[in-house]
Amino acid sequence: MDITGFLHYLTLPYLVEGLLVTLQLTAFGFLGGMALGAVLAAMQLTRFRTLTVIARCYTTLYRGTPLILQLVFTFTVLPHAGVVLTPIVAGSLALALNEATFFSEIFRSGIRGVDQAQTTAGRALGLGPGALMRRVTAPQAFRQMVPALGNEAVATMKNSALASIIAVPELTLRTQQLASSTFDYFEIYVATAVLYLLLTGAITGVQLLVERRSVRIAGVRSRPLARRKRGRAETTAASTAGLGRGPGTPPELAGPVEVVEMRGGAPAEDGRPEARGAALALTGIVKRYGERTVLDGVDLAAQPGEVVALLGPSGSGKSTLLRIIDQLETRDSGTVTVNGAELGIGATGRRHSESRLAAERVDAGVSMVFQNFALFSHLSVAENVAGPLRWVHGWAADAAAARAHELLGRVGLGEYADAAPASLSGGQQQRVAIARAIAARPRLLLLDEPTSALDPELVAEVLRVITSLARDEGLTMVLATHQLRFARQVADTAVFMAGGRVVETGPAERVIGDPSTPQAVTFMTAMNAAEV
Amino acid sequence: MTRTRTLGIAATGSALILALSACSSPTTPTASPTDEWAELAAGETCSQLREENPDLVGQTKTNALNPHTPGYETISADDPNSYEGFDIDLGNAIGACLGFNVDYVPVGFAELIPTVSSGQADWIVSNLYATEERAAGGVDFVSYSKVFDGILVASGNPKKLTGIDTSLCGTTVALNKGYVEVPLVEAVGPDCEAAGLDAPTVSLFDSSADCVQAILSGRADSYMNDINTVMRYIAEHPDDLDSAETVMLDYEIGIGIPQGEHAFRDAVAAAIAQIQSEGIQQELAARWKLESSEDAEPTILSVG
Repeated sequence: MDITGFLHYLTLPYLVEGLLVTLQLTAFGFLGGMALGAVLAAMQLTRFRTLTVIARCYTTLYRGTPLILQLVFTFTVLPHAGVVLTPIVAGSLALALNEATFFSEIFRSGIRGVDQAQTTAGRALGLGPGALMRRVTAPQAFRQMVPALGNEAVATMKNSALASIIAVPELTLRTQQLASSTFDYFEIYVATAVLYLLLTGAITGVQLLVERRSVRIAGVRSRPLARRKRGRAETTAASTAGLGRGPGTPPELAGPVEVVEMRGGAPAEDGRPEARGAALALTGIVKRYGERTVLDGVDLAAQPGEVVALLGPSGSGKSTLLRIIDQLETRDSGTVTVNGAELGIGATGRRHSESRLAAERVDAGVSMVFQNFALFSHLSVAENVAGPLRWVHGWAADAAAARAHELLGRVGLGEYADAAPASLSGGQQQRVAIARAIAARPRLLLLDEPTSALDPELVAEVLRVITSLARDEGLTMVLATHQLRFARQVADTAVFMAGGRVVETGPAERVIGDPSTPQAVTFMTAMNAAEV
Repeated sequence: MTRTRTLGIAATGSALILALSACSSPTTPTASPTDEWAELAAGETCSQLREENPDLVGQTKTNALNPHTPGYETISADDPNSYEGFDIDLGNAIGACLGFNVDYVPVGFAELIPTVSSGQADWIVSNLYATEERAAGGVDFVSYSKVFDGILVASGNPKKLTGIDTSLCGTTVALNKGYVEVPLVEAVGPDCEAAGLDAPTVSLFDSSADCVQAILSGRADSYMNDINTVMRYIAEHPDDLDSAETVMLDYEIGIGIPQGEHAFRDAVAAAIAQIQSEGIQQELAARWKLESSEDAEPTILSVG
C-alpha cells in the first residue's frame, strides 16, 4: 500500500465531507430513533393493551426485516404513495425508524431495571406518575442505559453506510465511487476505515464522559469513603460497648432505651375500632391473591397520637395491611379512612388513578417507612429528604435543605448530609428513610418492619429514633414489628394478627405481656424466647 | 445539578454535530451544458426540438447513475464532486440540444430503475443495457450504442476461457449485481452438468472495482463487462489482467425514461439521432478511449 496515497485520501476534503454526512445521518438516526423509541417503550409499558399490541407489531416488523430493504422502501417505494423524500431525509428516516425498535428495548429494560422498592417509596412520598418518572425512574434508568446507548450510537453510525445504496453522499458511497474512479482501492478503503474509527472513537469518548457524569450522585460533594469506614468501625465499636454514644448515634437519643410513657387515646377495651375523630379507621379490609385470602375482614382504628404495634407471625398480613392503608396495594373490599378522608376508592367503587392517589396521600398526611430503606440511590442523603419536599410539597429549595439538615441532625446523621446512600450502614440508611418520611410533617406514619433488614447491632439506633418520634412528635404511628420489647415500650396499642385476621387487640402492655388468646400466647412466648 | 449538566453537554454536542453537518453538506455534483455544445444546440434540429418541447427547456433533469464504470461514468479523480465520462458528456449534449440542465443521483446498480420509476430521478444515462426485463421495471429505453462484452481474466487466461460457454464450467465468474451477464452465465450451468462438469459459480459484487479485486485476489477467474471497461482495467493492471474474449451480446445500451413520458422519450431519441449524425457520439467515444464503440440507431424499447 502506498503511504502517500493513503495520507492523500485520509485528508481528501471529498472523504472528510462524507464523514460529516455520515455524522449527520448518525445524529438524525440516533436522536430520531431515541424519540420514537421512547414513544414505543411508553406504549409497551402502558396499561392500554391496544397501544402495546401496536408497538409490538411495529417492533416485530422493523426488527425482523433488514435495514437495507427499509432504506430502499423509504427511498423508492414511498414515492409511489406520493411521498418523495430526498436521499438524506429518506436515509435519516429509515435509520430512525429502524433504530427506534432497539431504543425502545433499551428504555424498557432500563426502566424495568430500576429498584421497585425505590419507586414504591416515591409513591408513598406522594410523587405522582409523572414526577416519579422524572425524579426517580428516569435518572436511574438513564445511568443503566448509557453503555447500551453508546453501543447503539456506534451501531447507527455503521448502519448509516447502507444508505450509500440510496444515493446519500456519505463516507461509504464516496469511498466506493472514488475507488471506482481512481483504482486506488486499498489506499482509499484503509483511509475510510481510519475515518470511521475516528468517528467511533469520538462517540466512545462522549459515551464515557456521559457515563462518568451520570454515575455521579446529585448533591454528593465528595465520596466519603474514609468517613464511611470510620463510621462503620465506630458503629460496631459502639454496639460492642453496650450501645454507648458515639458519632453516627442520634445525640439526643443516646443512652439506654427508656420505657416511654403511654399517651394518646387508647382504644376501647373491647378492641372495636372507634372511627369518629380517629386518625385511622379500617373497616372490613379483605385482600385476596388469587385463591389465597391474605386479609379477611380486618378492622382497625388509631386515635391521633396513638402508636399501634401490629404483631404476628410472618405471612399474617401485617405488611399487606400497611400497604393497603397507604394505597400501595389494592383491596378487594373494605374502607380506609385517614384523618377523616376515605382513600383509594371513590363513590363509583372504582380505584382512583395513581396521580389522584398521590394527592390523597399528601392531603391525608400519610407517610411510610419500609423494611429495606428504599433510599433514592441517585441522590445524596440530604437530597433524599429535601427532594420530595420540593417536588411534592412545593417547598423552596433553601427551606427544604434546612429541613433536611435539621432532621438529619436529629437522627444523628448531620455530617452525612452530602454522602451517597450506598456509603451508609443499613441502620444509618433507615434513619435517613425515617427522616425522609417525616420531613413533610405527616400525621400518620406507617412503619413496615423497619428493623428486620438490619444486623442486630444496628437495630437499637433505629429503634431509638422511632421511640423519640413517638415521644416528642406526637405522631400517629402504625408499626409492624417483631421486636416485642420495643413494641411494649413504644406502643399504646398492640394488634395481634394471624391468618389475615385480627386475633387480639388491646393495650400493648397487656397484649404482649399477658395475651389472652392461645395463638397470641404461643407467638409471644416464642418471640420472647428468641429475644432473650 | 449534575443531570442538568449532562443533558446540557449532550444537547450541545448534538447541536454541534448538526451545525457542523449542515454547514458542510456537500452539494450534489451538477453539470450544465457548456459552450461545448453551443453549436449542436444552435442547429436547426435542436432548435426545432426545443420549440416542440417547451416543457423541457430550462428544466433540470436528474440522471440516476451508478458511477462505477471508468470511461462511462465515475466521479472525477481531480474533482470528486463532479462526474465525468462518455455517458456524462452524452447526457449533457442531449440536455444542451433539448434545453435542460442535468444533475445526478448516484445509486446502486440494482436501484437504477426503481429510482427512476419512483420519480426520485428523471432518466438513466448509465451504460445500462436495454432489456425487456428491465423495461418491465417501469422504464422505456432509447438505445444509442451497441454492446460488446469483454471477459476480464488473470494474465495469460489460465483457465483458457473462450466466451460465455462451457469453458466457464467449474470456474468462478465475478459479476455486478443486476447485470445482464448473470442469467447468461447461469444458463451455461445445465450444459456443464450434461458434460459431467460443475456449473460456473457466480459471485455477485456491488461495483466493477470489487469484481476486479476479486480476480486480482484469486477469488474469481473472470469478470464480464463492456469491452471498453475491461480494456480500461487491463491498462491499469497490465501485468495482472488480460482479456480472454470479446462477445457480441444481443443488446443495445439505452437511456431509461419513465414509462408514459413519451414526449420526453421521443425528444431524447431525436436528439440522439442528431448527435450521432453530427459524429459527436463517436468523438466522445474517442475522447474517453472507448475503442470498441458503435452507434446504435435510436430505437425505442417499451413494454408499458
